[in-house]
Amino acid sequence: MAYFIFVFSGIIIYIALANLLHLQFGLTGIVNFGVVGFWGLGMYGTTVLIVQYDLPFLVAVVLASLLTAVLSLILGWLVLDLDSQSIIVATLAFSTIIFYLVTTEKWLTKGVVGIGTVSFPFDVGRRTDLVYLAFLMIFTAVSMWYSWKLKQAPYGRLLLAIQDNEPLARGLGKATSREKLIFFTATSGMMGLMGALHAPVNQFLTPTLIGPGVTFTVWIALILGGKKHVLGGLIGVFVTVGLFDLLIETYVPLPTNFTILVPNIKLMLYGLMLILILMFRPLGILGDR
Amino acid sequence: MATTKIVLKNIRKSFGGRTVVDIDNLTLGAHPIEGLIGPNGAGKTTLMSLITRKLSADQGQILYLPANGAKVDITHNSLDEVARMGLVRTNQIIQDFESLTIRDSLLLSLSTPHFDKFYRIFGTQKLAQSVNDEIDFYLDYFPFENPNGHALSAGEKKLLDIIRCLMLKPKFLLMDEPTAGLPYDLTQSVMALMQKKAVEDGLTILIVEHDLDLIWEVCDFVHFLAEGQLMTQGTPEEIRKNQMVAEKYMGVSHV
Repeated sequence: MAYFIFVFSGIIIYIALANLLHLQFGLTGIVNFGVVGFWGLGMYGTTVLIVQYDLPFLVAVVLASLLTAVLSLILGWLVLDLDSQSIIVATLAFSTIIFYLVTTEKWLTKGVVGIGTVSFPFDVGRRTDLVYLAFLMIFTAVSMWYSWKLKQAPYGRLLLAIQDNEPLARGLGKATSREKLIFFTATSGMMGLMGALHAPVNQFLTPTLIGPGVTFTVWIALILGGKKHVLGGLIGVFVTVGLFDLLIETYVPLPTNFTILVPNIKLMLYGLMLILILMFRPLGILGDR
Repeated sequence: MATTKIVLKNIRKSFGGRTVVDIDNLTLGAHPIEGLIGPNGAGKTTLMSLITRKLSADQGQILYLPANGAKVDITHNSLDEVARMGLVRTNQIIQDFESLTIRDSLLLSLSTPHFDKFYRIFGTQKLAQSVNDEIDFYLDYFPFENPNGHALSAGEKKLLDIIRCLMLKPKFLLMDEPTAGLPYDLTQSVMALMQKKAVEDGLTILIVEHDLDLIWEVCDFVHFLAEGQLMTQGTPEEIRKNQMVAEKYMGVSHV
């Protein structure tokens, strides 16, 4: 049961990240390939503040999220008005920098040895992890509800307009550069917050947790599910992480000498699914409504 | 009624050594509806891009003088800033937002910085309700096949582009070949609407157009541009009879 809750908490965080990527990429067209950098910064930031500086959980979460937002602001200010390729490279580079800093700055992060432990911010006995999972679910549901409301709001139209034809939107008096920067900062800061909230689920952090695989998984999930649909990320995460980590790895009786291959086969199957979706349903399982 | 003027001083723009616009002194908008004509490559579209700050001039100064008597130097403002000041342009090449319906596209145009905030997700219906009549007026005035869907044909996209600009309640509207791709009767209704806007709302309009009959018909004053330079200006009758205009436009042998 504890294992199930652990994996499920991870899935919920993935859904929240996919939802944030839906806002950045699906609506605005910002190709953020550094999801893991923002999420990882929030997670490591919180853990370092708690373990090394003895800060209370809530203070650490707020500070780590703010730090992520400030760095997003600087990164966004540097690259957001460049073309998509440049943004891909810059955000990927950002997440790689975070990864290497975490690995090398041992005085702060304890490097590959790992840092911990972060306990849950509250203790309600044996079911603490379940209560925390419920909290994560509510939090993620609220963020998805926000996305849904946003798409009907003037700002949602503005984001779509920026994605479709930014010069035309500017000609209509929209300060698109500024709005992209504000929105990128807010949503990347939220990715940092999701990382911060993930810290107590993992309890103990090593740099392997923040490898590029997280970014790719979130991207594949969003594209599979439907990048333009609010529920796209949710569906996508369930057919990728949910299907493999939760169902196959846990409940399917695989031969022992076969199990070590599962993570690799999993990535191959993700890739196959992605190719099939892009060939037959480019807008994802849910399409664009 | 006082018009909104734009004054260009010593404006130069070159692309890779070729001077495309070279104007010493030009006042646009002294009359409610003015025309800007010239052969292909005369620099008309570039001039419009310079005025709306889509392009930056290599040198010179651009002044914006709204009817209220203000005098603003817009040489270094951004495209969206001058649009918010009321200086707006319709596009020569068809431009559209693929994922927005006609109505959403117009709502986007009507929305103000007050509503364009990422945290403003409540009470957004208020905006739509308050402007419904305005949107309906335009959607009734022009024949859209499906006013609640997407703009389909090139003509619909062209009309939508013009309506989007009118929604901004501009003070000075630059129209870059507004009739290209529109059938004759639609051109007539666009121009009738423009003349109405000029009289009723005090909108100043500058039209770039190759359809000279339209220019003679609706413009109060015409500027003639060739090889990036202002060749002559005058009333439509004067420009029409001008020997040089005919030569530059059609070549000497055709005159």
